[in-house]
This record gives sequence, structure tokens and C-alpha cells, in this order.
Amino acid sequence: MLDALVDLMDAAGGRCAYADARWVDHSHEALTVVDGAIESVDIVDEEGVGVRVRVDGAWSFAATQTLSREGLQEALARALALAEAEPRRPAPTPLAPVAPARGSWRSPCAIDPFGVALEEKLALLLAADEAMAGDPRLGRRGAFCVAERAVKAFASTEGAACEQSVVECGAGMVAVAVADDDLQLRSYPSGHGGDVAQAGWEHVVGLDLPAHGAEVADEAVALLTAPPCPEGTMTVVIDSEQVALQLHESIGHALELDRMLGYEAAYAGTSFVRPEDLGALRYGSDALNVTADAVLPGALGTYGWDDEGVAGQRTALVVEGRLVGALSSRETAGAVGLEASSGAMRADGFARQPLVRMPNVSLEPGDGGTLADLVAGVDDGLYLQTNRSWSIDDRRLQFQFTTQLAREIKGGELGGLRRNALYAGHTPRFWSGLDAVGSPSAQQVHSFTKCGKGEPGQFAHVSHATPPARFRDVDVRAR
Amino acid sequence: MTRDALLDAARRAVRAAGGEALARAVSERSVTARLARSQPTQATDLQRARVEVLCVRDGHTGLAIASRTDDDALAAAARRAHDAALAAAHAGPGDYPGLPEPAPARGHDGFDVATAALDPGQTGGALAAALEVAEVRGVELAGTWTAGAVTEAIASSRGLEAVDAVTDAQFKAVAQAPDGLRGYAARTAVAAGAIDAAAVAAEAADKATPPPAAPVDPLGGAGTAELPVVLGPDAVADLLQMLGVLAFDGRAWAEGRSALSDRLGERVAAPNISLSDSVRFPGTLPHAFDPEGTPKGPVPLIQDGVAHRVVHDVRSAARAGGGATSTGHAISPGGAVQGPIPRNLVLAGGGAADEAELMAPVERGLYVTRLWYVNPVRSKETLITGVTREGTFLIEDGRLAAPVRDVRFTDSVLRLLSTTQALSRRPRLVGTTDFYGPRFAYGVVCPALRADGFRLTGVASPGV
Repeated sequence: MLDALVDLMDAAGGRCAYADARWVDHSHEALTVVDGAIESVDIVDEEGVGVRVRVDGAWSFAATQTLSREGLQEALARALALAEAEPRRPAPTPLAPVAPARGSWRSPCAIDPFGVALEEKLALLLAADEAMAGDPRLGRRGAFCVAERAVKAFASTEGAACEQSVVECGAGMVAVAVADDDLQLRSYPSGHGGDVAQAGWEHVVGLDLPAHGAEVADEAVALLTAPPCPEGTMTVVIDSEQVALQLHESIGHALELDRMLGYEAAYAGTSFVRPEDLGALRYGSDALNVTADAVLPGALGTYGWDDEGVAGQRTALVVEGRLVGALSSRETAGAVGLEASSGAMRADGFARQPLVRMPNVSLEPGDGGTLADLVAGVDDGLYLQTNRSWSIDDRRLQFQFTTQLAREIKGGELGGLRRNALYAGHTPRFWSGLDAVGSPSAQQVHSFTKCGKGEPGQFAHVSHATPPARFRDVDVRAR
Repeated sequence: MTRDALLDAARRAVRAAGGEALARAVSERSVTARLARSQPTQATDLQRARVEVLCVRDGHTGLAIASRTDDDALAAAARRAHDAALAAAHAGPGDYPGLPEPAPARGHDGFDVATAALDPGQTGGALAAALEVAEVRGVELAGTWTAGAVTEAIASSRGLEAVDAVTDAQFKAVAQAPDGLRGYAARTAVAAGAIDAAAVAAEAADKATPPPAAPVDPLGGAGTAELPVVLGPDAVADLLQMLGVLAFDGRAWAEGRSALSDRLGERVAAPNISLSDSVRFPGTLPHAFDPEGTPKGPVPLIQDGVAHRVVHDVRSAARAGGGATSTGHAISPGGAVQGPIPRNLVLAGGGAADEAELMAPVERGLYVTRLWYVNPVRSKETLITGVTREGTFLIEDGRLAAPVRDVRFTDSVLRLLSTTQALSRRPRLVGTTDFYGPRFAYGVVCPALRADGFRLTGVASPGV
């Protein structure tokens, strides 16, 4: 397919300022077990090509599933016609330069998940579900696994011609306990979508869902009768996964340069961070060090090249609390005078054009030791674990999160279970309260597979490597 | 693809699957054009098709989706669906009760020939008209124009054969004044020709350029506050869409997870609240049947403030028992794990002539244009949180007094509906889909309303 794309780009040259084309052959499999019964076995195969052109300073894009030479030419013509119809096309901003992407890249995968028998996968999920069963207060229990394979080819009018192949695999489980007007839930190994990695079936086996079933169910039921979370301004220790979501929402999205420039004002929103804040803004305490890392092995935001042919790379975003970098595309980098794109353009399948999407944005470990060490430094506070819900404003400034579980901390030790924990804050103020970050051994990688942005909407897959962390002066509420 | 070609593909897929099977062939064509900073940024032209094949074996379902409609691709999808259902059946009988018997679906007026033509010139013209208004009004414009045509054909081994075609169009605008204030407006319709992009841009500009007054903090520096509120239709739609998930999902209801579990027949809202799922209500985005082929019809959900019914797909109805049947609200063939959801909510209008009349009795309160990033906090209480965005104002002495810094709210949808004092007379369609995945347009038809005690829990962005 790569040759066809290269031919198409040869044909596009001279008809627009720039063009690129992506072929994506995507397979997806999702298996779900609910309350001891197999709920669904869904398999998707989809293949197509997206052609993107730049006329003056505006992008136009057309997608097709007709993969013949004529079909590709027709898609190019549609993209060009759409561009021609647009009013007041902006003067072109120079695209940040990039060496043409060449070669191939493949994610690690030991056991092809599509080669594992459905019966074996379902047996694992049924065992996980059975391990949660028993208490009549459980309104629902479920276990699921997913596998994805995307084979991609990319070519551009600047001579790029590269191929990539990615396999993702993961699983999770959840128990929902209900009583009167209350509903509590616990999940493993994460709050949303399980734990997914660029890996094969070995990753799911390693999660060992059945071994965690009893604990998940017991905690969900116990939360029904746990005392409500205390309220007030207090010190909190946040587990690695909730730190990942906090980082994702209040730093990752805020530092997308398209948002900072106002390009996403009609939907996802803008950012409280301005381009002129780069190198100047105090984002948090000295303990805050954040890196965008598109080469983190096994993580979902890892790639050989982004979807405009810029190599995956590491980019420092925050160093000792000071903002030093942003997530960019070739266009947005050019717009603010950066020498190069950070390689953060990604698209959701063949039928969407790439957007600035965060690669793996990670909190660098500190010297705070283990979770127990972080807790030991709190006389009177709260431990918050596993995201339950989240909300943040369209400038990524004011947020409110709830967690599935909380525990009191008294005298440096974890105490009893608390339910309905909710904390809120303003981004720079919250990160300024970052008091200690767990050590490298406490860092874990967490995945998110439903990160939404763009019109038409697109989901991105991304991971975050985060240790647990401790924050002072956090506003905690029971509702 | 034509209707005949889609129906042919669905038939061939059912034949390839053998046994109990259903196939749904869907084609989508759409155009989306985006603006930012008063300039075009990204435009997208999509043409795609897919065939969903559902096999039922011993009470288990297997679903496979292919993006090609040739015999080889359909045979491969049918084989995968068959193998998936068979693999599930190895664990013992399942609880899927079987495909629905064919039933005739009524027609609707949800297709517009001119919109289906997807003329790029119409897209460009809409953007140009909106940009002209923005220039005259001295505001910077961001926005999105989108129009689409979706045709689906469904066939099953039970003898069901049906075809449906719909169109939709939407324009939304975010205007930003030189002082940074922003305003929002949007319109959605079956026909692109029914949307006046210039008028939408002007409405957004109006909200971004109120009479001069410094933005105020409605919490007055406090951590929380409760104020009377007038919610515009866009904000009401956001609340109702979330209520649709938290309250009317028949699967969650049967499992005790719904806000209405054990509460049907109880008063859950003020007597002036009548909410239904009405797929052919004037101004909505109709569909003839759901992805399981069940014809869609009206379902009363809350009548005069009393919880009345929930919605079902085939699987949730079986789980609910008591003679429940699918109401035509499946999200996918075989039903989605998250359960059925109402997609055509209609909140009946009230007696107020307009939003100004709703505001008239308010001594001090809030006007909210739209909500953003709404998520549940405690689902059984319908307690949700979110922020206001692009058009929040302080009401004083019955009139808009000043723009307000965007605020966070944490409140129960049913509590707000229980304290709803008045609704405006004419409901309008609010598009509530963001078009993730295959195009499926839906929305809420609702009026503006006035409620008491809107619970604010923080100041969000500065409202500029």
C-alpha cells in the first residue's frame, strides 16, 4: 500500500502546498463477561485511506475505503475541492521542518492476542467474574479484555514513506455494589477501561484478574457502609493512577499547543497557558517535573512517527515547576517559532485527520520513596485511590475529581475506608502544593483509551508513567 | 452506496452467517468544516460504509464488523461472528432471548435531499456568512459546520428487511469579544437549509458583547452557593442527556443501578415536567428502527412529574422480565454492554413566552447558556458536576445584569427538575452528539427553564 500512497503524493505535488496520505488497516476485538454470563464478543475490521491537503493555511481532508488508484485519486480530488470551497483561507504559517520519515517501526508483542483462542480468553474472564461473585449486594460485576492491531503506511509530498505496526492488549474488571440510594464500585487494575499496553496476550495474563476478584468485590460492598469522606483543606496522598488522570487533564491537555493558540475553541476548548508562557510560567512546586515521552516502551502513546511523519521523541514540559515545553504539530510549532514539532500529531483511524494529541505525558519520579513513605509524612490527611469521575473546565484550570476509595491517614498510617471522596482545585495552585513524589520504584504506567478531542470526534490512546504523590492544602469534600 | 446496494449487502451477510443472524449495512457521507480565530482550520469529507453481522447461537451473540461489502469480506465477517457466538456457547447457554420478530417501522421526515447532496459550496457559504457577521460585530469567531447523510439497511434470518435514511446538519459558533468575553450559539436540524449560519453567529456575538459590565463572581468569594437559575435550551439538553443515561437505561434499572430502580410510579420531578423519548416529535432527528431492527416509537418517561417508564433493548427487556419488550433503544445489534439509551428526548414546553419572561421574577440568580464536561458524581442520586461555558450571566431584578465568571456546579438533575418553576413555551432541537465513531445524529428537544437553588461549588475559568 505504501507504493500507492507514494504515487498519490506524486500526483498531489503542485496541486497544493503540502499533502500527506495514511493507510490504516485496523482490527479490534472486545470480549465482555457480566454476572457470570458472556455478554458480548465483538470483532471489528476496518481499512481505508485518509488524504490531507494544505491549501494556503487551511487543512482539508477526505477519507475513502476504495483503495484502488482511482479511489485514492478521487479522495485527493475531494479534499482539494473542499479546500477550494472554504472562504478566507488564512495565509500559510510555515510548517516546522522535518526530515522525511523513512523505514518501519513495530511495537513489542510476544503472544499475538488475535492468535489466542476465544475460548481461552473467555475462560479467563469467567474465572475473574466468578472470583467477584457471592455477595447479593453486588448489582453488577464484569470482566473484559480488548485487543487491537493497527498497520499503517504514511507518505507525504515532502518525501516521507514509512510503515508502522502496533498491537495493543489489555483487560480489567469491575464490581458494582448497590443499596437503596447508594452505588459504590471498585475496579482493577484501573478505574476506566482496564490496563492496556502495547503488548500481546502476555500482558493480560500478567494482570492475573482472578487473583484480584475477591478484593475488588469486598471493597465495593464495604464502601456501602463506610463513613463519608471528611471535608476540609488537608494533605492528601494520591495513588499512582489518579495522579495519572490529574496529570492528563490538568497538564497534558493544557499544554497542547493547538489549544493554547485557540484552534480548538469551538469544541475541546482553549488553555489557561499562553504561548508566551513558555519558559516563564510557574506551573507547580520544585518537585514537579513532567516529560512527554513517545518512546516509552509498551505505552499507548509510543510510536515510531506521529501521523505527520515526525519521529517519536522525549520532550521536557515542566522542569522543577517551570513550564519549558509544549505539545506541538509542525503547524503549531511553526506558528510560535519553535524550531521543530514535538511529534504529537495523531489521528483516530483512517477516517480522521491528525490533531495535536498528547503522547505519554509522565510525572518524573522524585525521592519520596514508596506509597508507605509518602503516607508516613502525613499526620492527619487522606489517601485517595482509583478515579471514579472527573471534570475540568475548557481552559483546564478548575477541576473536580472523585475517587472510588479513600482512607484516612492518622499519625502517618492508613486508617479506615471512606466513601464518596471528592477533591477540587485550580491547576497551578494544586500543583504548587505538590510536596513529594514517589521514587522510581513506585512509578507505574497507566493507560487511557477514551481521550476525546476534535470534530468529528476522535479517541486517542495514551499512557502516563506516574508515581504516587503527596499534595498539601487540597480542598476535599464529600459532595 | 444506494439503499438497494446496502440491503443487498445485508441480505448476503445474513445468508453467509447461516442460522439465526442479523446484518446491518450502513453508509455515511459527511462534511465537517471548522473555524478558529475567524479563519478556516480543518475540513473533513468522509465516505465510509460498514456491515455489522450478529450471530446468535444458544443464547449467545457474536458481532463482527467489516468495512467492505464484497462477498469475501462479508463471508469473513459472518464467520467471525459465528465463531465468536460459538466460542461463547461453549461455556453454556446464554441469556440473549433471540432476534426480534419483524415488525413494520413507520416512516418519518428525517431525510432532506438537498442536505444529502453535501455540496461543498453550501459549506463554504455558511462559513462565509458567519464570518461576515463576526467581522461586522467586531468579534473573533470559532465554529463548526457539519452535515451528513446516513443510510442503513437491516436484514435478519427472521425475515426482517428494512431501510432507513436520515440527514442532519449543525452549525455552532463561539464568538470572542476584544475584551475576551465569549458567547455560544448553535442550531441543529434535519435540513442544512434550515440553519441560518449568520443568525447563529449573531446570537453568539450577542452573548459575547453584553452591555459593558465587569465579570462578577457569583459565589462572592464563598466556596459554594445556591441560586435561582434560568437554563437555556443547550444547558437543559446537557442535563437531560445525562439523565437519559443515569435514569432511563432499562438494563441499569433491572440491575438496581438506575436512579429510577424501584421508583417508577413515584413523583421524581415537578408537575410541570413531562419528558418522553419521541422519535417523530416535530423538530427532532428521527430514526425508523434501532440496530436490532425494532421499530422506534414514543416512550413516556416522566409524566406530570411522575416516573413512568424506562427504555429497553432486547437483552435488557428480557432481564427486566414482567413482560417487558424492547422499546427500540438498542445502541448496537445484540445490545451494548452499557445498556439502552434514549436518543430522542423531548421535554414539553411550559407557559413562559421566552427566556426574558423566565427571568422576570428572579431577584438575583444565574442565566446559563451551556454546560461543559458534565460527569456523574453519584449516579443513583443523579448527582452530576460540570462547568458553565460561553454565556453565563448574573440576573438581577429580572434582567441580565453582568457577565459572570464561569462556575462549577455539583447538583442533582432530578432535584433541579423537582424545583423547576417554569418552562418556556417553544422547545427546540439541541444536537448532543459529537460524532465519535460512525455518524449517528441525535439530540434533545427542550425549552429553557427556571429552577431554584442551582448548587455552585466553585469558580472555573475567568469567563473570558
